[in-house]
Amino acid sequence: MYYIGLVFEYLKNYMKTRLTYRADFWVEVVSDLLMQASNLIFIFVVFGHTNSLGGWSEAEVVFVYGFFMVPFGLFSCFVNLWNFSDRYIVKGEMDRILTRPAYNLFQIFLENIDPPGLIGSLIGIVIMIISGGQLGLDLVWWHLPVMILFAISATLIYTGIYIALTSLSFYSDSPTGIIPLMYNIQNYGRYPVTIYNRAIQFLLTWILPFAFVGIYPASLFLGREEMTHMAWLTPVMAAIFLTIGLTSWNVGVKKYRGAGS
Amino acid sequence: MLSAYTDFIRIRFLTMLAYRVNYYSGILIYMLNIGVYYFTWQAIYGDRGEIGGFTASQMTTYIAVSWMARAFYFNNLDREIATDIRDGSIAIQFIRPYNYLFVKMMQGFGEGLFRFTLFMIPGMLLALLLFPVRLPSDPIAWVGFLVMLFFSFLINSQLNILTGLMAFFVENNEGIMRMKRVIVDLFSGLVIPISLFPGWLSAIMQWLPFQAITYLPGSVFTGRTQGTGILEVFGIQVVWFVALLIPIFFMWRAARKRLFVQGG
Amino acid sequence: MKAIEVEHLSKIFKVQKSRGGLKGALQDLFSRQYNEVAAVNDISFSIPAGEICGYIGENGAGKSTTIKMLTGILVPTAGKLNVGGYVPHEEREKFVRNIGVVFGQRSQLWWDIGVIESFGLLRKVYGVSEQDYKKRLDELVQRLDLGDLLSRPVRKLSLGQRMRCELVAALLHNPSIVFLDEPTIGLDIIVKTEIREFLKDMNRQHGTTILLTTHDLQDIEALCSRVIMLDEGRIIYDGGLDTLKTRWGQGTRVTFQFGTACPLGRLQSLTSELYVSWTADNDLHAEVLVPAELNVSDVLAKIVGQPDIAITDIKITETTTDEIVRQIYQTGSATKETQGGTVSHA
Repeated sequence: MYYIGLVFEYLKNYMKTRLTYRADFWVEVVSDLLMQASNLIFIFVVFGHTNSLGGWSEAEVVFVYGFFMVPFGLFSCFVNLWNFSDRYIVKGEMDRILTRPAYNLFQIFLENIDPPGLIGSLIGIVIMIISGGQLGLDLVWWHLPVMILFAISATLIYTGIYIALTSLSFYSDSPTGIIPLMYNIQNYGRYPVTIYNRAIQFLLTWILPFAFVGIYPASLFLGREEMTHMAWLTPVMAAIFLTIGLTSWNVGVKKYRGAGS
Repeated sequence: MLSAYTDFIRIRFLTMLAYRVNYYSGILIYMLNIGVYYFTWQAIYGDRGEIGGFTASQMTTYIAVSWMARAFYFNNLDREIATDIRDGSIAIQFIRPYNYLFVKMMQGFGEGLFRFTLFMIPGMLLALLLFPVRLPSDPIAWVGFLVMLFFSFLINSQLNILTGLMAFFVENNEGIMRMKRVIVDLFSGLVIPISLFPGWLSAIMQWLPFQAITYLPGSVFTGRTQGTGILEVFGIQVVWFVALLIPIFFMWRAARKRLFVQGG
Repeated sequence: MKAIEVEHLSKIFKVQKSRGGLKGALQDLFSRQYNEVAAVNDISFSIPAGEICGYIGENGAGKSTTIKMLTGILVPTAGKLNVGGYVPHEEREKFVRNIGVVFGQRSQLWWDIGVIESFGLLRKVYGVSEQDYKKRLDELVQRLDLGDLLSRPVRKLSLGQRMRCELVAALLHNPSIVFLDEPTIGLDIIVKTEIREFLKDMNRQHGTTILLTTHDLQDIEALCSRVIMLDEGRIIYDGGLDTLKTRWGQGTRVTFQFGTACPLGRLQSLTSELYVSWTADNDLHAEVLVPAELNVSDVLAKIVGQPDIAITDIKITETTTDEIVRQIYQTGSATKETQGGTVSHA
């Protein structure tokens, strides 16, 4: 209850800040959309030259992309760790966080809350509806709750991976820039992972399990039976990776050494 | 004075060496990028011989060299400049006896040197081992490629400077920086070679500076552009390099004015 | 009751040794060497509830590191800690409800929104009831004279105004122990005095325990009954300010100006029963150092009124805390040089 109350308080403050910089708000929305559009362009160009990617049709790949946008939007709204290392470690704002009576990681999430990200989720839903219609998917009643479950699980997988990577800033004595490097990799889980070789498949499934944010859970609704068993693993992976992320974070906080001065 | 500028190159080179985690993870992640696109294009080609004028084997080489070129020309000048502007330290830069943008360029070059020797070359060797990359046999292609690679760096840095300077005019240019990153990766031909885009789109892109960053040097390296064609594509790069100096000049002037009038 | 108890507390940082030059940097890329630096080295002290204690030392002496361990930000390498009944880093979230922290160099307020919005948010974070919050805020706003600042965004405040708001932010939940890390840094003399008065009142009214670090010894003189001095991570003094003065102070210095030449030997013989030491640049000018246990008047009585000594001027100067501390630092750093430059952590 306490934490839910805090979410609203921080959102209120976000709104107040944002109302002072209205132009920026729209720049951010537009840039987010453009980023998504550029990924869709890739798909369209590829299918301009072929009818199937590893046995998946254009509409199917677009549907997967639409599904991916939902957890991605949730993630970019609530878990914004982009400049953690700079802001909290180098500039020492972690000190302030640690002297407040709420879970430190949660405070950081709240301070960086970014609601425009949710627009991506909405667009993702629209894309799923359109491409689902083209495919003539027949959804049954339980698909909806499962889709919500999978979307939340995927968001948590994302969150777990990024928490773990971000917590490296506590261990390394020089600022790390791994997060921007991950930026491309997160996209790869949206394509049929079976087209990659075993090493990359393994990586995207078990080590940096971005495939669980895109292709695996979405395959259930597309009736792709070869991946159904993977789809049901999504919530399990969420539990595992969230645990890994949080553990690595909590151990990291103990190693936090403060900024100079 | 000149030695002061070269010092900026040296210091940045040494600073880069300190980021050890970045270095190791960087090489691995670039290999992964090449791998993913290699297999994706393999799947797209299937048993077709040619797409958009690229044979499957040319495509492999193109992907590898494009990503490794990115490993060289990539830098965060936009972010650095935006940070300087936002926390106000840019004001100090104005009273120093050097040109701020030129210093930034030098720092970018120091980083580039690091990336070239310790990142791009070892990365390329690793890519040669892992993927069927074919190196050009024509020495002219090598020379042309290396010269053009340098201009890739210049043009990419110019775009970064322009993006960074935007922070003078909008309160938070994080969105713009992210947008620039996506556009450069897509429109420079890194993820899709320009000739594969639908006709109207590739026609537009030929009038934009982005192709000069990846696509043009890449086409020299893969041997799709040869002989005098090399001079031609190099000419395009030079034109863009000169053309981009103009908006930088005006933006810098406007920025100074803004800083002096509003007091930062 | 003890508010803060510290036993054998240490914090050791691993610092990377950089090998100079290009070759060194390349070597560092593949193998690294580390130095261990003890920022805080086996310190023990305890502070009873309701005390104001000053924590001083040169830059890098370990002040901030100690404060950060006491507030739960850093985990100690060794030693025992108890602050307000908690081990800070173990039950951090419960523990911090009871303390207030101000870092003079950093803001805890939201930059872009009105100060009052930040306070409202902190109310929620600390779970303060609406009633208590109103009462407390009114009290603080009135006391620190913030009335018309509350609606302004932080970025539009002067440093003095901001600092007063920082204090309110740290005290809204009425903590019983307050840590202040250089609370008066960069402030003008008027704001400094205001803040000191405020802290003193708070200590009196609410019995708040206060631990503050500072470089301004007037903060200490105005506020603290006790001072802990740190050098290279060790406590070199812990006790009252008065004791510090008598122990380290050189007493009183009396400077004489003579109209006619007066040899040093004559002065020394006049005061031979007293343990004082004379120095003289020339025959017209002499200085005597009177230890704290002697009376200046006793010394003066021996000199003044001697027919052969024509005094034109007498100046009496007390050694200030500033001088005392500077002297301690200097002797401290005299031993430091032999160990070579260690990297400092403040």
